Amino acid sequence: MAYSEKVVDHFNNPRNMGSFKKGEEGVGTGMVGAPECGDVMKLQIKVQNDTIVDAKFKTFGCGSAIASSSLATEWLKGKTIDEAQKIKNTDIVQELNLPPVKIHCSVLAEDAIKAALADYQKKTDEQPAGTK
Amino acid sequence: MAHAPCPFLLMDNNQPLSHSDPRRQLRMARSMCWHCQSEVTGEYFCERCVKVQPVSKDTDYFTCLGFPRRLALDPKQLEAKFYELSRTFHPDFYQTKSTNEQTISLSNAAVLNTAYRTLRDPIQRAEYLLALETGSVKDIRTSPPADLFEEILELQDTLEEYRASDRGSDQGHRLRATLQTEQEALERRKGEMESQLRRLFADWDKLQDTGEATSQARAERDRILKQMRALLSHRTYVNNIVNDLAATIA
Repeated sequence: MAYSEKVVDHFNNPRNMGSFKKGEEGVGTGMVGAPECGDVMKLQIKVQNDTIVDAKFKTFGCGSAIASSSLATEWLKGKTIDEAQKIKNTDIVQELNLPPVKIHCSVLAEDAIKAALADYQKKTDEQPAGTK
Repeated sequence: MAHAPCPFLLMDNNQPLSHSDPRRQLRMARSMCWHCQSEVTGEYFCERCVKVQPVSKDTDYFTCLGFPRRLALDPKQLEAKFYELSRTFHPDFYQTKSTNEQTISLSNAAVLNTAYRTLRDPIQRAEYLLALETGSVKDIRTSPPADLFEEILELQDTLEEYRASDRGSDQGHRLRATLQTEQEALERRKGEMESQLRRLFADWDKLQDTGEATSQARAERDRILKQMRALLSHRTYVNNIVNDLAATIA
């Protein structure tokens, strides 16, 4: 089985790799893992006025997992929170031409997006009124 | 050692289906010899025409190799059974047989190989049992504790740093020492997880041996499977990072 060209491209030139500084404002972090392969994915979003202005990821795993998260950060940028909620793993599968055995990588990316959004939501809810 | 009968079923593509009722077809296909249409009662060969029967995709690996669904398994017995069956299906014995029999024996040998490889390793055996008992493992998402993830990600950063550093420099030496300490600590943790797993394996076997169907037994079964699932996935994460560490600082 060979990786698709798009997977190879994302793997060789990952977009938005890295992480935001600790304590940076408006950042939501999602950390997820795939128990079946042990891949670990960290995905962060930076939100201003309900819009994701920046996104970063760090993934330790196979090429498909790296490509899925790299693609996810590309898609997240410029989206509103609501739009980001709608990103589905099947979109990633289609875009990257993932074979059946690698579908769980895209599920991982979707989970990471959801976790990052939930974390951001939690942080904003915790903030006392008037400091937003 | 218990030899559970191995139900051999016909593969769909071995024979054109001639009956129109799909339910009838299914029932027939599950019990008939592909060659003489007589009933196959659960051996590797048809009792009437002595033709080899294909192992079904639905037959689990334990049944396939004639073992009960237990997690303690004598590797010697397993190996002996595997060799015995490997001889049974060996292509050399099918050279003069029909194409159909050659295909069946070959695919049986392939299933057997996978079954043996899976059951031989205690961890894979447990993963496989979990999948059998709880459905697809992929359906159960477990999120390991956030601190384990933080630790792994931090370690990966240090690893990156070490890979980029000049290994002969002071910084390289310092990073290497840090990574080595971490590796040892993680290996100890992996060892602890494995002894916890072994205790769970024993609990599982004990529960199976009693064969009780009380609500208490069901609760115990769920507890064991759940803890096993969590431990196995945590172990995978730790194992991955340990391997990364070992490969980098070796």
